[in-house]
Amino acid sequence: MSVRWQTIVALMLASLLAGCGGDTSKARFAENSALAKQLLPKARKAVQKTLDDHFGSPLDSVAWLKLPVNYGKAEGTVKTVDGQKLSVEFNAEASDLESLASPELTRAGLLFTSGSNAGKQVLLAKFDSKNSTFETLPGLESAPSSGDQFVAAGHFLRHGRKLYARHCQHCHGVSGDGEGTTAKYLNPRPRDYRLGVFKFTSTASFPAPIKATRDDLKRVIALGIPGTYMPSFVPMLKENELTAVIEYVRWLAMRGEIEKGLVTELKGEYSKDRSKDDGIDKSLETYLSETYPNFVNEIAGEVGEKWSGAEEEGTPIIPKKPRPQDTAESRHRGKELFLGNKAKCVNCHGPTGRGNGPMTEDFQKNPDTNETYAERGLYDTWGQPIKPRDLTRGIYRGGRRPIDIYRRIYAGIKGTPMPGNSQALSEDEIWDLVNYALSVPYDSQAPKSPKPHSVAEHSMDHGHAN
Amino acid sequence: MRKFWCLFFMFWPIAAIVYSAMSPAYGWWFPGPSLTELGQRIDNLFYLILIIITVVFIGTQVALGYALWKAAHNKDEKSHFSHGSHNLEVIWSVAPAVILLFLALYQMDVWRDFRVKAYFPEGTIESPIAEVTARQFEWRIRYPAPGKKLQLKPQPDDLYAVNDLHAPIGRAVMIQLRSEDVQHAFFLPHLRIKQDAIPGQVIPIWFKAEKKGLFELLCAELCGWGHYKMRAQLTAEREVDFQDYLKKLQADQNYDGFPASDSVAKKEE
Repeated sequence: MSVRWQTIVALMLASLLAGCGGDTSKARFAENSALAKQLLPKARKAVQKTLDDHFGSPLDSVAWLKLPVNYGKAEGTVKTVDGQKLSVEFNAEASDLESLASPELTRAGLLFTSGSNAGKQVLLAKFDSKNSTFETLPGLESAPSSGDQFVAAGHFLRHGRKLYARHCQHCHGVSGDGEGTTAKYLNPRPRDYRLGVFKFTSTASFPAPIKATRDDLKRVIALGIPGTYMPSFVPMLKENELTAVIEYVRWLAMRGEIEKGLVTELKGEYSKDRSKDDGIDKSLETYLSETYPNFVNEIAGEVGEKWSGAEEEGTPIIPKKPRPQDTAESRHRGKELFLGNKAKCVNCHGPTGRGNGPMTEDFQKNPDTNETYAERGLYDTWGQPIKPRDLTRGIYRGGRRPIDIYRRIYAGIKGTPMPGNSQALSEDEIWDLVNYALSVPYDSQAPKSPKPHSVAEHSMDHGHAN
Repeated sequence: MRKFWCLFFMFWPIAAIVYSAMSPAYGWWFPGPSLTELGQRIDNLFYLILIIITVVFIGTQVALGYALWKAAHNKDEKSHFSHGSHNLEVIWSVAPAVILLFLALYQMDVWRDFRVKAYFPEGTIESPIAEVTARQFEWRIRYPAPGKKLQLKPQPDDLYAVNDLHAPIGRAVMIQLRSEDVQHAFFLPHLRIKQDAIPGQVIPIWFKAEKKGLFELLCAELCGWGHYKMRAQLTAEREVDFQDYLKKLQADQNYDGFPASDSVAKKEE
């Protein structure tokens, strides 16, 4: 056998032994290195440690109870015991037992809260959600007895992670950074959750932008985003699976935001550019031991509050008046607003709505850094070039219902140059714009320059057409 | 060693029969009997071909096994080489040709009823129920508004759904199949409908579901890395339910934050 063949065979054997995936037990969430590299190495390490402590790794995640994430919790009571088999009863609020039943999740186990095993955890071999029976793995010193109470928790997070890994990760990345393996082939790029910004929401943007609600995320996963690579995941994902994925995505978003918050805070005093005298090391040490732990809690509280704020009742924007009749007059008023100086739609969307307004030909400034972009055109918060929607195509990424278009105009599209108009425009004006925008793809039916008598004819047609 | 080869060749027909006999119990066969009359005819064609193949396969294997077995015990007789035999060549060229020609002719009426537009059931071509557009990696569906006809170009009152095709039972319906990007295949395994979707073409498909229920709608053409995600469903339901579904879809699509009864636009409709 020639040396070359020997080498090839040896390499093949080596790769067989090593497996393809490498050592998965060391899987980690990627650091937001663009941010973190601005810090002193010690400060950078501190941020990483904080994140590891409070979020863990993809395969060994930590449920940080300070965050408004539904990690899944099920309390129950043991009814009968037969060796390792426990027949149990869950209390009424026990959430999503099917997530708990998923075979790879049962190893999470349960924690006894009363009886002789109180405070002890036992791993499960099997869980049958239909008959509510467990099979535990050996490990308890004394057998549980009827009436013992237990709690199982965190199953949403684990179920969500598993589903995320299967369906979402190849685009959105392990840490939700939008840098999955297929991401580089996609335009537009997959969402980077780490800013905590989602574009298509039902929530207001004034005075401060409100986060996406669970329902908003659900809508996007269920219906997909036409015009992008985000497909619909229903009916493939069932209701309980959607819930679990949504919680996991929210959790990743909060993780990214907290990471950003920590880096931003540390950057003030401990950026990489600081001269490395003795003082700074010492001051960093003092800061990390005294002030930093509180700050971590503070920022987690802040981020958490924003996300739980989105879930408060009445958050989704609902206009005070229903959509008015879609008449030629209304469309015409909408068109005048569209072209006019009050709404300024034309600046980006162009006079015919093709998305080719003058702003797209101009050099724009980054609102965060105040620097002018190197290339012409508009950019989003993630630094990607972005085009205003071509309204003639009839493709509505955030949904085509009147309420969707209304919300887009009212609150803008978060993370993009599309501004909210809740202050600039009245409800009636927004509805006129909705009627106009929805009519643009069907240009033969759009109102021509109106003559008083022809308007009446049109309105009759459209009354039926809608 | 000679007997080994004999047993080796005899093993495969037996394995094939055992495997086929086990298949239905393990769900490796058709997903139940076809729910359409046309599908049953397609199944019949499949079984006819299966029978022919089985007979030929087992026949040739048994003949091969017999020859090997006999030769293994026969040390006296000399081999007979038939290479270049004109008669044999004619027989095994003509016999398969006859079988193939028979199949080609025999299946023609099924093909005609399934694919030839002029033979589509009455009423299907005039009013397709929906346009189904495949794209990476989902099925986007466009229905005409209740009481309207589907137009080639989108209309302002069209209704949209994704991955959720509804169709009435008991009558033949037609959909228009399109693709937005690459080649996909519209596959309703329970109804035995499979048709490639080709970018730039509008391909009509008709089917007549006889039974109500939820059925899988899959992509049967490897269309990219997310191919497995193209897993939609067909809801076959009674005509009234289908019309109700369209009305519900319409109400949802016109949702403006108010219940349908309060809305000015909808009241005057």
